[in-house]
Amino acid sequence: HPWETVTTAAMQKYPNPMNPSVVGVDVLDRHIDSSGKLHSHRLLSTEWGIPSIVKSLIGTCRTKTYVQEHSVVDPVEKTMELKSSNISFTNLVSVDERLVYKPHPHEPDKTILTQEAIISVKGVSLSSYLEGLMANTISSNANKGREALEWVINRLNAEIEEFTASARGTMRNSMAAAAFVEK
Amino acid sequence: MNSVGEACTELKREYDQCFNRWFAEKFLKGEGGGDPCGQLFKRYQLCVQKAIKEKDIPIEGLEFMGPSKGKTENSS
Repeated sequence: HPWETVTTAAMQKYPNPMNPSVVGVDVLDRHIDSSGKLHSHRLLSTEWGIPSIVKSLIGTCRTKTYVQEHSVVDPVEKTMELKSSNISFTNLVSVDERLVYKPHPHEPDKTILTQEAIISVKGVSLSSYLEGLMANTISSNANKGREALEWVINRLNAEIEEFTASARGTMRNSMAAAAFVEK
Repeated sequence: MNSVGEACTELKREYDQCFNRWFAEKFLKGEGGGDPCGQLFKRYQLCVQKAIKEKDIPIEGLEFMGPSKGKTENSS
């Protein structure tokens, strides 16, 4: 899909069925800097499947974990960069992720994503096991991320089709056309 | 999608709708004019800030600014 489509979908990535643990998204700050890039700081709330016995011990308010995300969208250079890091359990583990979406250099209807994650586990003797486990999860999540955006793009296009069918309003042509381009 | 503060979800939805439309139809196409969703954002923000304080969420180093180019300041 073209970069504009992917970027629009990435901004509206949640909720989606591939990431059921993300239960809340909030924008903490958003501004356009002097070079015209849009910065957004967002807070993501996630709820893992914590066993109810644990919840009853620690209280349901404390079962949410939080991630802070900073994204920068440059509409001129056509890049979107997302950096996220956990703000819960930082005394135990830190997971920093960086994603960059850019148009494919040779195929303008496609987008390239580069994704990296740095995980470190602190002061825990099972560190290498946990790091390995998290690395596997994160790399399978990368694929899930692509599927998630695909789902969001389809949903957005379905909304557009519904809108045009009922209202005969103006269409966002570029998005509708992108859905049919062979990937 | 819900907000971190349950009471803020409706404000969030209104803001998101405004923002998503502007983002796809104006910003990405390089059209000028800033983000028109300022008022909605301010109302939504006040609610979120309150929820974050109440829930004791450890956000560091962020200034809760409005959506303009850094000129407005929130006083809480």
